[in-house]
Amino acid sequence: MRRLKKRGGQPWGCGLGAGRGRGRGRAGPEIRFRPSSPCRLDLSVTRETLTYAQAQKMVEVELEGRLHRINISDPLSVITEDEVMAEDLAECNSNKENSEQSLGRAKQGRKAAAAKGRKKEGKQAQGRRHGDPKNVKKQTDPSTYSQLAGSLPEPTFRVLDSYTPSEAAALPVAYYRYMEKSGEELDMEAEYDMDEQDMAWLDMVNQKRVSDGHASVSPDTFELLIDRLEQESILESRSQALSQNTIDEDAFCCICLDDECLNSNVILFCDICNLAVHQECYGVPYIPEGQWLCRRCLQSPSRPVDCVLCPNRGGAFKQTSDGSWAHVICAIWIPEVCFANTVFLEPVEGVKNIPPARWKLTCYLCKQKGRGASIQCHKANCYRAFHVTCAQRAGLFMKIEPVREAAANGTTFAVKKTAFCENHSPPAGRGQKGARAEGEEEEDEEEEEENDPATRCSRGQRVYTRGPSTPQNQRGNKKGQKQQQKGRRSSEVTGRRSVPLLLVPQIPSYRLNKICTGVAVQRKNQFMQRLHNYWLLKRHSRNGVPLIRRLHSHLQNQRTAEQREPDARLLAMREKLKYWQKLRQDLEKARLLVELIRKRERLKREQMKIDQAVLELQLTPATVLLRSTLEQLQEKDSAGIFTMPVNLKEVPDYLEFVSQPMDFFTMRKKLESQAYRTVSDLESDFNLMVSNCLRYNDSDTVFHHAALQLQEVGGAILRHAQRQAFTTGLDPNTGMHLPAKPNKRNPYQSFWEEVDSLLVPENRLHLSPEEQLKSLLEKLDFITSMRTSGGRTKRVRLLRREINSIRHKLSLQQRASSPLRNGNLRAGEKSAEHRGTMPIVSPTREQGNPNSKSPASQEPSCPASSPLPGDAPPNPPIFGPENSGTRTPGLCKLQKSRGRKRSDCQEQSLFDPDTKDGGIPCLTGDAVNGLSSPVTPPASPVLGVGRRTSVLFQKAKNGTRLKKTKPANRLHNGDTAEDSSNGGPISPSEPSEATLLSVQTSPPPRHLRSRGPSASSESELEKPESPPKDSVLTNGFKKHRDGTPEVQGAARSQEPHSGIPPPKRSRGKPALSKAAAQEGRSADSTSGRSILGPSQSEEEEQLAPLNLVWAKCRGYPSYPAMMVDPNMPREGLFHNGIPIPVPPRDVLQLGKRRQAEAEEKLYLVLFFDAKRTWQWLPRDKLHHLGMDETADKLRLVEGKKPSVRKSVHTAYDRAIMHLSHVRGNASFAPSNFI
Amino acid sequence: KMAKMYLEHYLDSIEGLPNELQRNFTLMSELDSRTEEKKDEIDKLAAEYIANVKNLASEQRVQHLQRIEGAYSKCKEYSDDKVQLAMQIYEMVDKHIRRLDADLARFENDLKDKLDSSSHESSDEKKSRKDKNNKDKRATRDKTESDSDSPSLKKQKNSDPLLAMHPSDVLDMPVDPNEPTYCLCSQVSYGEMIGCDNLDCPIEWFHFACVGLSTKPKGKWYCPRCTQEMKKK
Repeated sequence: MRRLKKRGGQPWGCGLGAGRGRGRGRAGPEIRFRPSSPCRLDLSVTRETLTYAQAQKMVEVELEGRLHRINISDPLSVITEDEVMAEDLAECNSNKENSEQSLGRAKQGRKAAAAKGRKKEGKQAQGRRHGDPKNVKKQTDPSTYSQLAGSLPEPTFRVLDSYTPSEAAALPVAYYRYMEKSGEELDMEAEYDMDEQDMAWLDMVNQKRVSDGHASVSPDTFELLIDRLEQESILESRSQALSQNTIDEDAFCCICLDDECLNSNVILFCDICNLAVHQECYGVPYIPEGQWLCRRCLQSPSRPVDCVLCPNRGGAFKQTSDGSWAHVICAIWIPEVCFANTVFLEPVEGVKNIPPARWKLTCYLCKQKGRGASIQCHKANCYRAFHVTCAQRAGLFMKIEPVREAAANGTTFAVKKTAFCENHSPPAGRGQKGARAEGEEEEDEEEEEENDPATRCSRGQRVYTRGPSTPQNQRGNKKGQKQQQKGRRSSEVTGRRSVPLLLVPQIPSYRLNKICTGVAVQRKNQFMQRLHNYWLLKRHSRNGVPLIRRLHSHLQNQRTAEQREPDARLLAMREKLKYWQKLRQDLEKARLLVELIRKRERLKREQMKIDQAVLELQLTPATVLLRSTLEQLQEKDSAGIFTMPVNLKEVPDYLEFVSQPMDFFTMRKKLESQAYRTVSDLESDFNLMVSNCLRYNDSDTVFHHAALQLQEVGGAILRHAQRQAFTTGLDPNTGMHLPAKPNKRNPYQSFWEEVDSLLVPENRLHLSPEEQLKSLLEKLDFITSMRTSGGRTKRVRLLRREINSIRHKLSLQQRASSPLRNGNLRAGEKSAEHRGTMPIVSPTREQGNPNSKSPASQEPSCPASSPLPGDAPPNPPIFGPENSGTRTPGLCKLQKSRGRKRSDCQEQSLFDPDTKDGGIPCLTGDAVNGLSSPVTPPASPVLGVGRRTSVLFQKAKNGTRLKKTKPANRLHNGDTAEDSSNGGPISPSEPSEATLLSVQTSPPPRHLRSRGPSASSESELEKPESPPKDSVLTNGFKKHRDGTPEVQGAARSQEPHSGIPPPKRSRGKPALSKAAAQEGRSADSTSGRSILGPSQSEEEEQLAPLNLVWAKCRGYPSYPAMMVDPNMPREGLFHNGIPIPVPPRDVLQLGKRRQAEAEEKLYLVLFFDAKRTWQWLPRDKLHHLGMDETADKLRLVEGKKPSVRKSVHTAYDRAIMHLSHVRGNASFAPSNFI
Repeated sequence: KMAKMYLEHYLDSIEGLPNELQRNFTLMSELDSRTEEKKDEIDKLAAEYIANVKNLASEQRVQHLQRIEGAYSKCKEYSDDKVQLAMQIYEMVDKHIRRLDADLARFENDLKDKLDSSSHESSDEKKSRKDKNNKDKRATRDKTESDSDSPSLKKQKNSDPLLAMHPSDVLDMPVDPNEPTYCLCSQVSYGEMIGCDNLDCPIEWFHFACVGLSTKPKGKWYCPRCTQEMKKK
């Protein structure tokens, strides 16, 4: 029987069925074949003893490492578990390891079929297990047999065709995790697994108990109790073992007699006989975990074995292939003998090959003849023979060394073994005996100082004992030697053979009681006693090895660990350390807790603040809104001008002008004292503040400008607040929210309707322009704040147009009154110089102005705020005051602050950006301008210049300063106003007058815009802005001009021709005419109508037919052209004797169509190109020609390409020629200025 | 002995901690109840205001609102006190912990020294014994008394006793599910943390990694959120 390897440690496995891993299924099939029980087999029968006839009648079964022979005539009976159990019990003790092994293996094979880990259910099944039919048993009761045979269940099965075993997909490794249980956890549960032996015992006990009328003990309880017993014993043994030193310093391998211990080749101790062997020497390649037994203890534990090769006993044995035993060392040294497996060094083979001669050799050491095989001294001619073990005992020189041999077929490695008799041992320097030599079986582990023969000798003697001598062999023995041997033997027998020293600690009864306290079993004490006894026996049968592997290894660890803690003081310190660490943890917990508390309190504080804010919003939403509005307003006052009340000590005269001082501080105070109920309240104070500032401060002071700026920006903010107040639904009485939110109208329908109705001018006739503007602006704000939609953009555009027109109108009105008002204000503020103008001013008008003006002027430019986003793009805020100044009167005023010269020539700078800063070019421009209108009355050159400048001054609102320096100017200005207004009517048909006016008014800004680097000439936005500037003209002019367009249209039958109703036209038309038209209709009944008649020609300064213009077509530079009345007589027309071409019909028709499409008035122009092309163009594409030389010059170089410029130039020459012809001034030298 | 001494001292010092904590917490809860009272008052005032606001003149309104505000400011005061108190307690516990840590470090050092010296001794002993064995060539072996249920491995005992000791000694701090969380990631604190220099920062502490730091920045440091807030202002 070849047992290759002893798998280390099945500490729990004992008897049948042991050796299963924890959790391995105990659940076999209900009925299963029982591995052959060796109980009835005669084991000792060896093959050699059988005769042939006998052998023929035997069936050999090799089971559990042993041969079992069953006589063919023996009946094989089926036995029940109960019957076999007792036998098992008896058997298992002697059976232990071996049966365990094979059974384990058998079960391994079956395990695959059995479900895993079902131990509990399985137990019951096992309890009822039927006997193995193969089991041989003398049948005592045939009736039982038949009965049992009849009760054998028949296996039934059927084959499922449909079933195809599917391979379960291999789970990724990530799903598996091995979690090792801690010792404490393991202590809590019963680790012990019952084996068959336990099962049998428990069954027996239970039977007894049941028959006695007690409840049976469940296997679980059994396991638990065994587990506890094991634990107890561990504790017990631990306390005992503490004093013992398990590690034997002096251990040496009894094969090589060396005590070298390397990690790769450790010395193992048999757990029973304490045999010490090297792994390599005994063929144990892997250190088994747990118990390890030598082969002899494993396979023949109870009876000593004799080596077939030598007479000595003791030492390391292995079985030979024929079942007898031999020393490993003998097998090594006797040349004919070898190991079948050289790794595991078993079994010993070739004993039969030993020649009889060797058997006959007589060992010179033990003198025993015919016992075992001897080897001879390697010395040539020395024939002394000795047993290997005897040689070891004697400490003879024996050496094994690897030798490389060069053979014919290559180098082979062989082992050279040399042994010498006492006499021939190689001389050793320090050896006392000559025969003793340094030697080692394992040369690489040689340790010189330890390997002197004496050591080996003593070791050898310790290992081996003489076997029982046969009488015939005893004769030559010395007596003393015999004595010695006997003495040694006896001592060894007592000391060694009486082992197994079983370390099964007795468990004191009080411990037993303690163990079973947790278990509910009837007749507990009795049961416990029996269990304890059973357990003790089981432990004994396992040579004291614990039944639970973990505890077993645990025990070792504990032991080593404890050994390493020799110092009790250290232990105490460690305990202390643990205590402190626990304290540390507690403190850490406390700290965490406190930290949480801190966080909680912080959060509570935050919540408190939020609560307050919420309550404030709930109680005084209006105040909150107003406050934020006020803050926004104040933010805009970056210079802090309005932050605090005016210091009356610094400006003692303040109250003379301002009756009701106002500032942000006061406003805030009022706000906090709940004085404001609505946004309007705040707004009125804000306006008051601004107007105070405007009133008191000179228009060129920083304060004035700041006030204006603030007014503009603040308007937007206030409107926004207003809207917010409305949408949130604030109750003005309580300052709280309305109970219900204002019902939200559908913003896309009702609101659109509202807007649309508002867009129709007739619908708001009842409102004043200011109110109209306001409502329009509100609508615009609202719309722009809405989401983008088709209706939105369209209406935004329309609204903006309306707003611009109204604004323009308003500004015209203001202009009309502004000089007066300005004068008035200034008079109030500063000087009496303007008193002269005061009478002119109608008080009502003046009073209305400040209020009406503010909304008008503040709106157009609030680039920072959103209300007019549509406006913003073409004029982004970055334009700054300079640019915006050109757009709005207010900012224009701002700009004027920069310096007198500059503001003086502001107008000029509009003409020519290049000459912006220099006053002289502008003036020259003016002069030229004045000259270029030759038709003006003789006085006009002088007066023209003067008037112009004055107009400019006035326009720049710089009048005050001018007046300061030359007060007469103001008056003069007034005069010129009279003059020009008078002059207008005087020459109604005089185009030059009109042209002059138009030059002064509209073209220059246009010009600038079209030329300006930043402004797009087509931008709709700019239209409304130019008029205000123009309108800074004197009252009289304005009145006239304002009134005229419609009249002009009517009188010249332009309107019927265009066929567009006035409102429509006004919407599409350039702002100037639009505004004029509107004013003419709505507000101008007062002044405009009355002046309509006389000022008929005046409006010709608009674009009258036959005027020369710069016409700008898309994609071309401005090109000289002539306005042509589309309704001119078909037969032709002569203008001062110059024939005017008649527009072809198709051109007229095209014009009608285009006008219908564009929804605005288009003017028919005739280009001065070679082909005399016709074109319909809107007003803003047309600019007067020949009025301002600078403008003309600029236009002449407008073209980018030289060829284009040349063409423009030629056309300009033609135009000038035409002009001079018309004017009868033939002496005109074309393009002399270029 | 040394260890005992300073640890005893420590015990003395920590003795007062629970009482201190209790006192502070009592104080805190007192403040809390006062805050709650104030809150009730505020609620009443607010209800009153809402009921009467229509009939109140501006001055009366202001008065009323001021009363509410006053109550709120009292509340805030209490809250501040509570936060302050919590911080104090934290400091206190923290101080104790730091001291204990220092002491423990010393203690452990002492322990290590002792272990080293003792292991030294024991190894010396063994060596000498072995030497003696070798010299005497003593062949006696008390094999019988060594208990035999294990394959004992020879010469494997030169591992450091400290190594064997320490893993079992280091107690694992159980994870507290309520451990306060910090940082943008809302995780418990670990590794190096940095505190936002904005005192009102709602998060306060940040993991270095979460805010992209590897070393402590110089000067003031503000967390991303506070930086954003500040930019807004």
